[in-house]
Amino acid sequence: MRHLLWSLLFLLAVAVLVKEWRFKRAEKVYTLASGRVDMCLACHKETPGKAHARGVVGCADCHGGDPLTVEKARAHRGMVKNPADLRYADRSCGRPECHPGYPERVKKSLMATNRGIITILRYYWGEIKDFHAEASVEVLMRTGETSTALDYFRKLCGTCHLWLPKEKLPGFLKKKGGGCSACHLVPGKGPGKNPHPKLTRKIPVENCARCHNRSGRIALTYQGLYEDEQYGAPIRDGTFGAEELEDGRFVERIPPDVHFKAGMSCVDCHVQNETMGDGKAYAHLEESLEITCEACHEGLGRTKKGTPLPNLIIKNGKILLRAKLTGKLLPVKRPDPVACRHPVHRRLACWACHDRRVPQCFGCHVRRSAGEKQLDKLSFRETPGLWEEFRSYMRLENPTLGLYRGRVTVLVPG
Amino acid sequence: MNSGGKRPKAASFLRYRVNPRVSWALAAAFLVAMISGLFLAYPFSETAPFISTVGLENVVPFGRFFRRLHYFSAWLTLGFLFYHAAESLWAKAYERRTAGRWLALTLSLVLILLIAFTGYVARWDETGRLAGFIAESLSLKIPYVGKYLNGLLFMVREGGVHRPYLFHLYASFLVLLISGIWHFRLRRLPAEDLGLVLLLCGLLAFLLPVGLHAPGPYLLVKGPWFFVGIQEALRHAPPEVAGLVFPALGPVFYFGVRWPRVREIALGGLVFWSLLYGGFTLYGLLR
Repeated sequence: MRHLLWSLLFLLAVAVLVKEWRFKRAEKVYTLASGRVDMCLACHKETPGKAHARGVVGCADCHGGDPLTVEKARAHRGMVKNPADLRYADRSCGRPECHPGYPERVKKSLMATNRGIITILRYYWGEIKDFHAEASVEVLMRTGETSTALDYFRKLCGTCHLWLPKEKLPGFLKKKGGGCSACHLVPGKGPGKNPHPKLTRKIPVENCARCHNRSGRIALTYQGLYEDEQYGAPIRDGTFGAEELEDGRFVERIPPDVHFKAGMSCVDCHVQNETMGDGKAYAHLEESLEITCEACHEGLGRTKKGTPLPNLIIKNGKILLRAKLTGKLLPVKRPDPVACRHPVHRRLACWACHDRRVPQCFGCHVRRSAGEKQLDKLSFRETPGLWEEFRSYMRLENPTLGLYRGRVTVLVPG
Repeated sequence: MNSGGKRPKAASFLRYRVNPRVSWALAAAFLVAMISGLFLAYPFSETAPFISTVGLENVVPFGRFFRRLHYFSAWLTLGFLFYHAAESLWAKAYERRTAGRWLALTLSLVLILLIAFTGYVARWDETGRLAGFIAESLSLKIPYVGKYLNGLLFMVREGGVHRPYLFHLYASFLVLLISGIWHFRLRRLPAEDLGLVLLLCGLLAFLLPVGLHAPGPYLLVKGPWFFVGIQEALRHAPPEVAGLVFPALGPVFYFGVRWPRVREIALGGLVFWSLLYGGFTLYGLLR
């Protein structure tokens, strides 16, 4: 018995020695600027950008895991690749010392709920009578609720919302969704083969265009891209020579929006309350929209809901706008005193005259093949029913004008 | 030792006394905790307690193993101690002890729990730090002697882990010295028992990690497992009751068992208190 005991103790001592020899110890205890310990830095050299700089914000602050050990398995337990996903954002981006309250606001925003899209679909397809009905992608994902209109939404529209986990869907859809990171992430530049993406408040147009490229095609037209008839012409070297979007649609170059030409991004006009939500659950886009042309061009400095525009500067009677991405000071033209102020134009919205090109998609129709299957983008499963969209033709013409809430405005079929 | 020069068999001990194997295991576990603690004391710095504890885990050679050995041996010490205390009542050990000695033994129970508690505080992670703050607040609630007791044991808001750490060291030596001389003979500790406990602690330390609790915006931080009962009770009663009277009742009942006139009440109270404290602990741990 005694021999066995000493033998076991000897074996244990050997095992401890071997384990210790194999253990890759850290050189030192790594601390952040705040003095907090973050042992992730012993192995990870990534730099996620200035605002979340390495050594300032700890890896585990966002990604979870155990920052107090260098044992890989234990350190990585409970980690999330995309901490900005709305499922985790309360504990990562929205933690009390970082951006408290933001995830709650974003979750109520239309980009997260898709309430407008869902409600309009169901309303016009005769499924509901309330144009302002409650609806949310998150609820659809959680409950699996479906109907004809919802099945259409699930299969064709359900890729452009903030609840979509990043990299969950195949192909070009991989880049969509991801909660806060859907907008605030730009590719990193190094070091290493897979550099950490950078987190930014300077949202480039490409990020917005990842979703806002259908229906009104606003982000395409803004950049001077027109989704044409899809012939792919001109044919060069036996293949389509036309410029192609990530999703395979062909586009032609047209003169871009004057704001884009001046180096402005979407976020130069669209304020945080519009994009990230102001805490209220709106049913439709026009309810959440705040910015007006007058806010800048009349020098009001505030949106129609009173949100100040800090990048608008009025100096010596001149109106200037500091572009958020480039930092450049841009002169802002005041409205033409003759044309814009003429009494006959009093009911015209600015864009009724200034929007020269609006893509118009006519003869839009859809077909559902009940015998075939298609990927449900909310449940990530193939379910019966294949939806296909068709259209008769596209036109890039002077837009049709019509009356909406007492103002002459642009009407876009599509 | 009997006349034949051989140690009396365990069976003859059981008739009147506690199980010697468990008792020696308790002494051995405490000794292992003391020795492993001495190794840890070298790289540990009370001016940067949390950083040096993380350093022990990740930077210091064999630091990880010795920290776990210290943790599990202390854990076993508490486990064996509770068993030993219960078994002593079963074996009616109070009948063979003077009042002073029984009081000293009862107080040693409290002292060992305080040693374990200050050990948790000394590592200064989220569990330890907050447990220290709670303990300091509770000790200050004790009438008359509260501030002196806090000065002796905690004072963490003012001095960090300085006092809990010193108490952890000094009290450990004191308990080993006093009980090793008067309660059991440390020099008679059987090598096999020490080896067995060392093997058990070593295996646990080799196989099971002992994590640290990183600071963060937690809404719930649980203290050391033997403290969770008090922590849970604090949710339901004022601090004076839940944090002082309630935990003090256990040792009081244990001490009271020695006197035949109140024995039945004390034993009943002790059983009820143990069930209540155990229930609170379980509920708190599962929360």
